[in-house]
This record gives sequence, C-alpha cells and structure tokens, in this order.
Amino acid sequence: MKKKKMLLSQETMDTGFIRKVETLSDTSVRSCFQCGKCSAGCPMATFMEHPPNRVMRLLQLGQWQRVLAGRSIWYCASCETCSTRCPNKVHLASIMDALRKLSWDAEGPSKESYVQLANKLFLQNISSYGRQYEMRLAAVFNVKSGQFLKDMMLGPKLFAKGKLKMFQRKNKNLTEIQKIFSRIEEMRKKGEAL
Amino acid sequence: MNDTLKYAYYPGCSLHASAGEYDLSTRELFSALGISLTEVPDWFCCGATPAHNVDELLSLSLCAKNLELAEQVEGDLAVACASCFSRLKFTQHTLEENATKRKQVEKAIDAPVKLDGKVKHLLEILAKDLGLERLAASVSKPLAGLKVACYYGCLLTRPTDVPNLDCPEAPTIMERVVEASGAETVAWTHRLECCGANFTLSRPGVVLQLTNAILDSAKAAGADCIMVGCPLCHGNLDIRQKEIENVYSAEYNLPVFYLTQLVGLSVGLAPDQLGLNAMIVNPTPLLKEKGLL
Ligand code: SF4
Ligand code: SF4
Repeated sequence: MKKKKMLLSQETMDTGFIRKVETLSDTSVRSCFQCGKCSAGCPMATFMEHPPNRVMRLLQLGQWQRVLAGRSIWYCASCETCSTRCPNKVHLASIMDALRKLSWDAEGPSKESYVQLANKLFLQNISSYGRQYEMRLAAVFNVKSGQFLKDMMLGPKLFAKGKLKMFQRKNKNLTEIQKIFSRIEEMRKKGEAL
Repeated sequence: MNDTLKYAYYPGCSLHASAGEYDLSTRELFSALGISLTEVPDWFCCGATPAHNVDELLSLSLCAKNLELAEQVEGDLAVACASCFSRLKFTQHTLEENATKRKQVEKAIDAPVKLDGKVKHLLEILAKDLGLERLAASVSKPLAGLKVACYYGCLLTRPTDVPNLDCPEAPTIMERVVEASGAETVAWTHRLECCGANFTLSRPGVVLQLTNAILDSAKAAGADCIMVGCPLCHGNLDIRQKEIENVYSAEYNLPVFYLTQLVGLSVGLAPDQLGLNAMIVNPTPLLKEKGLL
C-alpha cells in the first residue's frame, strides 16, 4: 500500500473482517476511545510501527490490511498489560491473538517469519510428541532459520547442567492428542469454527 | 500437624527439561510440608503462548483435554509454570463465558467440558491453602538477611479476572510467601514487567533488552537475588544473564531462584534436594555469605 492519503469509504471498511476479529476475541472493537493507556504500558510498543491504540484505531476505520502488513502483531508479547488496564474492557491481547490467527490463515503478508516459524515448530512438536522438547525446538529452529551458530555458547553449559534432554519420548495418548488437531481442522473445513 | 492437602500435579514441559530443578524442588518442598502431589497421568503440552497466539481454539482444546485428564486425580490442580497456569485459567474463564467456544471445544476433544476443578499456582497453595502461618511454623532455617526481589512477570496476575491470584497491578503474594520464610524483600520497579519469554527463540535481541532492564532494576533496589515462579522468566534471567552482562557491559551476578528453592532452603532442605547446582548463576557464594549454607 502506497503512503498516500487514507481513503475512507464504505468500500474500504471491511466490516466482515472486523466482525471475525470480534468473534474470535470476544471483545468489541468500537468500545475503544483512544485513551492510549494500552500503548503507555505496552513493553513492546517501541518495536511496533503501530502501537496498540493505533492498531485499534485502524481496525475501527477498517484499515486492517495495514495492520496485517506490519510487524506490530508479531511483536506483541502477549503480556496482557493492555487488557488489564483498558478502561473500556477492550481485551486487546485477545484482539492481537485474533489478528495473528487471521494473518496466519492467510499465510500473512507479514515479514515476521521467525516468530511464525517458532510458533509453527512449537505446535508441530505437540502433534508429533505431545510435549515440548526444548533442545529439539531450538535445534530445528536454528537449522530452518539458517542461524546455525545462534546460542551455541549456551548449549554445552546447559547440557552439563542437565537442562537439555537429548531424547524425546512420545506421549502414550499421542493419537488422542492428534485427534484434537484433526477434529479442529475438520470443523474449520465444514465452516463450524473460525 | 497438617490435615493432608492433596493435589493433582501438572508440571508442564519446561519442568521436565530446562527447569528440572523447579520440578525437583517442588516435589521435595511439598513432601517436606506434608502436601501430597500426584502427577496427572499422560498430561501433555498446554500449547503455551504459541498456540493461543495463532489458534485460540487449539489452545482452549489442548487445555480442556488436560483439565479432563486431571479429573482422574483427587484434589485441585497444582501448577508450577506461570504460563501453563495462565492458559489453564484462561480456558476455564473463556469456556465459562462463551457458550459457542465451549461447544466447539467439546467437539474438538469429543467430551463434555467440566469446569468445576480448581486450578492453583504453587504460590496460592503455599499462601492460602497451607497458609502463611503454617508455612512460617515449618521454617527451621530462616532466610535472615537475604534481600529478595520478587519477580512476577506477566502471567501470574494478569489480566484482571482471569488468574485471580492476587491484585494484577500491586500483588504481594510472592513477598508474603518469602517473608514467611524469613527473607527480606525489596521494593523495585520492574517486578511486573515482561521478560519477552515468547521471543526467546525468534527475537533474542528483544529479550536481552527487556531482561537487562529487569536485572538493572533489581540490582538498583539492592536485591541479593531474584525469585521467580515461572520457568520461562527463569530461563531468560538466569540462563541469559551472562550474555546480558556482556552485551550491556554490566555486572549483576544475581542468582535467580525458584520460589520453591528459597522456601525449601528455609524449611531445611539440602542444596541437592533443591537442584541448586543446576542454576547457571552460582548461588553458593551468596548463600555462604549469608550463613544459609
Ligand atoms: S486502553 Fe482501551 S480504550 Fe484506551 S486506547 Fe487502549 S484499547 Fe482503546
Ligand atoms: S499484550 Fe501485546 S499489545 Fe498488549 S501490552 Fe502486551 S505486548 Fe503490548
């Protein structure tokens, strides 16, 4: 999107998208009155091009593409400070969840691929083993992101302290866990869930 | 002395790997206090932040299934990790409030959702169920002269109405627990700030910046050490401390204890029962200096 004047009209306001955000997050986008408390307390606001209150304003104006195209949602740390402090009970941390989900589904235009990769590997670990094995998570992440040397300094020391487990064990009830993933996928295919 | 307190125990993935000493010290402390913990059979990952980050329905379903597994064991559910605790509480809260989501989750786990079981963080069990008086009565080696910075991080208390562990903006439960063990606590600015846990893998630079501010604040307040109730906070503050010192040319040397390690010391448990040797920032010189070892 070019940095031209923002054009607001019925056509630019995709209310269908906003409704999805509201359903997923169970919170009302229009309740926000732009006090800025969320951004004042947000530990990640300095890393975001649109701080949390501006994300809300953009959503109110139907400019969600601008939000999804940026890095704000992938820099949110889910710390829940904004939701705790909002005077209007806007559950902004849940709105961030909903936006990431919708961006994730669309294999989002966002460039924050490391965060997405880490999330993806984490979820894959659950469906392949049942539990997280940090060693595996870090190793696969480093290979896939091409950062072979990252945190190498930490490895041997952690290993010596018994903090890294070399072997993964599959949960006994793994098939039951995998069924949760597949049932959700099926519900989504049938349009029974977002 | 105690009428027996019994709990189902959900250790969470970190406690079976990088936070083994949290698991060990929890089991040892609770057994010393006469509190029984029975591990939930076949518990699995709650999905933590990555799941709810991109797929709330998955997060709710994974937690609901774990809550169902926990029903097999008598007693409320004791949770050590702040992140698991937060997700399990969020699941109960959301499914109670939102009938549509509840129906979807029941379909995903192919079972009715039961929400009557209570989920409790270890702090809650020590401060409320056991009670501070009984805790203080079990102390045989008070942590006299040890100045502790209690670090809550994000998820133990936020948001309002979900964890209900203590006030989200001015909690005191950690301070009360460790003071019952005879320690002093310091007042400091960063006890509720975020350490960036979720970005440990993907954005370590961000984590270093946030954790540096936390360590700096604790040091400035005159703390000897930090106490945490979360393996993710611990990883960032303890494992990365050297790296932070290097990057920011600072010197902190602040041992980072799990709450169960400090309370455990005060009831007379030995260092190897508390996994003190697994800590990256060595606590031995400090504990010796204070006459606690
Ligand atoms: S705190 Fe709430 S009302 Fe204020 S700007 Fe943020 S979302 Fe809007
Ligand atoms: S939850 Fe995200 S947006 Fe809200 S304060 Fe924390 S980092 Fe900022």
